[in-house]
Amino acid sequence: MGNKSSLLLREEEIAQIQEETGFTPNQIERLYSRFTSLDKNDCGTLSREDFLRIPELAINPLSERIVHSFFAESHDDRVNFLQFMRVLAHFRPIRKNRENKLNSREEKLRFAFSMYDLDNDGKISRDELLAILHMMVGVNISEEQLTSIAERTILEADTNNDQMISFEEFCRALERTDVEQKMSIRFLN
Amino acid sequence: MALLTPLVSVAISILYTPFLLLILCIIFLASIGKSLGVRRLYVNILLKLFEYGRQHIEVAKKLQRSDSSDEEELTVPDDKPPSAVVKENGTNGTKMTVIERQEILGPSPELNYRRVQNGHRAEEGTGQGETNLEFHFYHCMDLIKAGMESIIEDQVTSVFEAEELRSWNLLTRTNRQYEFLTWRLTIIWMMGFVVRYFFLLPLRILIFVIGVWWLIVSTACVGSLPDGPLKQRLNHTASILSFNFLSRCISMVITYHDGEENRPRSGICVANHTSPIDVLVLMCDNCYSLIGQRHDGFLGLLQRALARASPHIWFERSEVKDRHAVANRLKEHISVPDNPPILIFPEGTCINNTSVMQFKKGSFEVGGTIYPVAIKYDPRFGDAFWNSSRYGMLHYLLNMMSSWAIVCEVWYLPPMRRAPQETAVHFANRVKAAVARRGGLVDLMWDGQLKRMKAKKEWRELQQEEFSKRLKGE
Repeated sequence: MGNKSSLLLREEEIAQIQEETGFTPNQIERLYSRFTSLDKNDCGTLSREDFLRIPELAINPLSERIVHSFFAESHDDRVNFLQFMRVLAHFRPIRKNRENKLNSREEKLRFAFSMYDLDNDGKISRDELLAILHMMVGVNISEEQLTSIAERTILEADTNNDQMISFEEFCRALERTDVEQKMSIRFLN
Repeated sequence: MALLTPLVSVAISILYTPFLLLILCIIFLASIGKSLGVRRLYVNILLKLFEYGRQHIEVAKKLQRSDSSDEEELTVPDDKPPSAVVKENGTNGTKMTVIERQEILGPSPELNYRRVQNGHRAEEGTGQGETNLEFHFYHCMDLIKAGMESIIEDQVTSVFEAEELRSWNLLTRTNRQYEFLTWRLTIIWMMGFVVRYFFLLPLRILIFVIGVWWLIVSTACVGSLPDGPLKQRLNHTASILSFNFLSRCISMVITYHDGEENRPRSGICVANHTSPIDVLVLMCDNCYSLIGQRHDGFLGLLQRALARASPHIWFERSEVKDRHAVANRLKEHISVPDNPPILIFPEGTCINNTSVMQFKKGSFEVGGTIYPVAIKYDPRFGDAFWNSSRYGMLHYLLNMMSSWAIVCEVWYLPPMRRAPQETAVHFANRVKAAVARRGGLVDLMWDGQLKRMKAKKEWRELQQEEFSKRLKGE
């Protein structure tokens, strides 16, 4: 029958997650029930397959990068609920007059940056950008065009001429973008 | 033990007569097609009880969690009946949504749901042809957000599991675990448990056994008659009678809408599929021919019994894959005008009654008139959805017979025909949209086979194509 009652969320855990991520207890409970429903084997952690079982995610061109972002802190290739919540916390809308630890504009930008930075070295190289472009467009744009797009994008943003985009250059390039809106998910209740 | 036996025998002899009378009464009422209205009264009482329980829980939870949230305060929402609710995200239906979806990717990208219609495209300027593709770092953000949204909530995975209830219905069927809140609730729950399992369940099992026996006997009798209009009329009456009797074994309260105008007499009837109980629901009001795979055992027994009295289409396991054979049998059946309408569930699998998934085009290619029917179960009373990966058939039947009641609404929609230039797929989608709209269900473009299979590679490639188009400014 799938006895998940052993994984019931305790009040202290809810409080801890609320403290770290800023979600309300209601939202935490809902996300926990989502977490357990994705966890088909009832083991309290999620694997990459568990994520990719969601059809809408599986057909998303950036699915690997998105799923990978959950496993950044994981050692055994599995995600527990706290890690799950920490990543989702980046997408909380920014509240004025409240403390925003994980969902500030800078944190959101850092998350977006990590999407491009494949080897996690703090810089986006031309090859990394090309790889992401490949993921997003598939075979619909030719190799030469993609390369020229990648080079042009880097050229525009690269201010210190090292052929790579650092996090500061990335932020500057996105100065006029409404990151708060693009990287926030609004909860309905 | 020695004292117990005479006590038991006394109890049985006392209760025997009224019990028998009760059974006879039920049979009599079923046979004249009337009902005492007991079930509706029962259902109304239950509703009041659930409402009380729900309010009580919300209050108790509020007290328990006395912290102040940074969201709006918890108001206890009214528990409306399912079809009255229109949800966020541009969808009609009762599925509970947690977040505001910005973009929902789907198997056909032109149908991708996008909330803000191209607000940022204006920044890029008009498309200037392939040589001037503008890519910015923010282009990936839409996809990332869509991906994250789908991790929090998606249209498909929830549809293969029991629907989550907003309120508690004494079956503890909400996805959240049952926590101890107050003594009052626990006592109510325990009483509910006792009533359902020790009073209703045995009674229902008895009715079920009698009902099946009656079905077999009546179909044998009708089957022994020579073919002709008399046999068909008798079959129609006998079938409705037996199924009405069987419906009492799960306390079904069904409301039929628009039956006078749109009840099918022939052709093909399509409906959304939630469980095998759908057949029971529909056959209480009209006589259909069923189509399906031949089974062994108990189900096979029923199939053979039904086939004696009326033409049904049962396939051997090997023939099931052969689409032409299926289509031919269908055509054969509907070409005889006196044959009862065929009942088909084009989704191909059980869905949890919050949504309608893709209708397979097979039954829409055959020609003839399609009579769509929408079935919506009221989730507050019992979960009719059969989650075949979780429960076997027997376990499912036990669940059905120990729930409070099965309350559902059936809408007969006006008949539809395929337009001359219309493809079967387009026609199927048109019918699906009509069924979803009428039943208050979410209209999904996803294939029901996703229950067992993975998403196709082509769909992802189509999304990549869609993104490329966006880049090019198309």
